[in-house]
Amino acid sequence: MEDLTSIPSPARGGSAVAGEVSDDALLVLFANGDQAAARDLTSRLGPRCYSVAMRMLGNPAEAEDVAQEAMMRLWRIAPDWRSGQAKVSTWLYRVTLNLCMDIKRRKPHAALDAVPEPRDQAMTAPERMQEEARVDALQSALMQLPDRQRQAVVLRHIEELSNPEIAGIMGISVEAVESLTARGKRALAKALAGRREELGYDDG
Amino acid sequence: MVDHDTELDELFAVARRQRDHLPEGLAGRMMADAAQVHSEQSLPEQPRQRPVWLQVFDFLGGWRGVGGLATACAAGIWIGLAPPSFLPDPLDLLLQQDETELISDLTLSELYME
Repeated sequence: MEDLTSIPSPARGGSAVAGEVSDDALLVLFANGDQAAARDLTSRLGPRCYSVAMRMLGNPAEAEDVAQEAMMRLWRIAPDWRSGQAKVSTWLYRVTLNLCMDIKRRKPHAALDAVPEPRDQAMTAPERMQEEARVDALQSALMQLPDRQRQAVVLRHIEELSNPEIAGIMGISVEAVESLTARGKRALAKALAGRREELGYDDG
Repeated sequence: MVDHDTELDELFAVARRQRDHLPEGLAGRMMADAAQVHSEQSLPEQPRQRPVWLQVFDFLGGWRGVGGLATACAAGIWIGLAPPSFLPDPLDLLLQQDETELISDLTLSELYME
């Protein structure tokens, strides 16, 4: 099996077709039988699906299943995709969030698994431990948020999408997105308040 | 509160550093799915089954064959109804045969009666 690390990123000019080519155009190329387009779409959009699913579910195995299924739906819809109708990434984020909600509905009280996060080889062991502790703390706090607040916070602050784009994905107004992210951030700060020292943030 | 926001932003930044990561093998599975969808979609489309009456039509030789057959049928019916003078009238033959059978049936039933 191929690891993404071996896939040249389109942003780095790794493919003849990618680089300045839009997701839309890549999807059309894929629908016309271009396997290289599948590679570029996977490297662009696969991590997006996995990242969102991971932050929404807090479970790596479930996040992998969701990300793979979301991409499968993209491959299947490709021949019927109408260019310019919607952003591919917007559609894919919405599919990913819906798949996450399906899993949560099936398993409403799933236990939070230990989350093995990717390791940055450039870090020293203590730095790595602190980074892992911080991500674990953030994930635990995220899991305490109501679903809609968690969706808005993850899309805004981790995926770094604009409020109008989030509004499009979630099917709500921009004002509602702003309200959800603000309430979500307040709840996260409250949940993390007791762990400042543990996470390496000195008081005062 | 400002401090807390900064810390939260730092935590988000840590999560963002891990954003472009895919677990080992997942990209491969995604692309295998893509290849599978490609192979499914590139299968030659099954030719649509022609209706039975069209298949019979073709079997009989299309318009030319069916036209000839219809002409032959019409001629047969016409000859049957109005035969040329040198041929015996099939209607007469049929009536004669019926009468013969009727007589033989009567004879047989009379025999059994006795």
